Amino acid sequence: MAAAQPQSWSNPASVPAAYSLPARLAHWLVALLILVNFCVAWTMVDMKLSPAKLKLFNYHKWIGVTVFLLAVLRLSWRLYRRPPALPEAMRAWEKRAAEITHRLLYLLLFAIPLSGWLMSSAKGFQTVYLGKLPIPDLLGKNAALGAALTGVHEALTWLLLGLLALHVAAALKHHFIDRDDVLRRMLPWTRA
Amino acid sequence: MFRHSRLAIFAVLLAAAGSALAAPRPLIAAKSRIDFSVKEMGVSVSGQFRKFDAKIDLDPARPENSTAEVSVDIASLTTGDNDADAIAVDKPWLNKIEFPKASFKSTSVKGLAANRYEVRGTLTIRGKSREIVVPLATEPQADGTLKASGAFSVKRSDFAIGGGEWNEGDVVADDVPVKFALTLGAAAP
Repeated sequence: MAAAQPQSWSNPASVPAAYSLPARLAHWLVALLILVNFCVAWTMVDMKLSPAKLKLFNYHKWIGVTVFLLAVLRLSWRLYRRPPALPEAMRAWEKRAAEITHRLLYLLLFAIPLSGWLMSSAKGFQTVYLGKLPIPDLLGKNAALGAALTGVHEALTWLLLGLLALHVAAALKHHFIDRDDVLRRMLPWTRA
Repeated sequence: MFRHSRLAIFAVLLAAAGSALAAPRPLIAAKSRIDFSVKEMGVSVSGQFRKFDAKIDLDPARPENSTAEVSVDIASLTTGDNDADAIAVDKPWLNKIEFPKASFKSTSVKGLAANRYEVRGTLTIRGKSREIVVPLATEPQADGTLKASGAFSVKRSDFAIGGGEWNEGDVVADDVPVKFALTLGAAAP
């Protein structure tokens, strides 16, 4: 393995041709959890307070914590196993755009769960992972702060959805228009 | 002269009455609180009652002569979350319309040690009464006031608080821990 120096994500030096299996599985697992969690959130926010609503809120928070943990694992793995290089044929600005988008996506995988955790604390509902593991409250109960953090959590989520749309569109463009292996090398059944 | 002596007699009588009937210490509401917490799926959601009244007459020399009466204004419940507050005082839960007050009235007080008491009494919530035992600790303050604190647990099922869907699937715990810290003013002379 190369020295753990920060290098550009698109640096082609000594990088594999495809993503490793753990990287691919974690990518799709996170994708699935984000999709599920968005639907859970969409449903729960308009519900009248009930045991079902409490369940959905807790499931939402548990999934969020899981995404955060998977993001930590993915980023650590990424430092250990470099991702494959982007195709030579890509223009410099395209490579740059891909890099910025990927960095922002990773940033949001951390920032959205963190903002959710803080907003929960401010609203007086501690996050207890899987109903067993209490995650300490960094903030005390504060309704105004809770409302502000809700705004942050939602705004970051819309930003994530926008970037995901771009991410998916770019993957499809690579696959169907450029006809390169950018999408294929992330598919779970691809051979590394 | 005559007037003065009458005043003196009156003062003596007043003093005698005061020592014979130790007036209860008044509750200092601003320095008193009653907190509870409801646990849902492992998450403890805390709340308070902002309005309550207490008449606590403690006799450290003869604890068995002590009495305690507390009345809590149900509508003063707050958790900091508007939806939760609305549910908590609604009909299936504390039902503030039909039962605006919850109360506690002591039936016997036992001295356990210096500044330690065991208070038995009747807790009434939603019109249902249960005998409970409340450990009470007192702490005389430098300014002459007395801090009286303790904790006990209320079972929702004992008082039918939050029935129906709220009892399905172990989402909301039956036990609701309650703790109180009351500040009582200096005893009347």
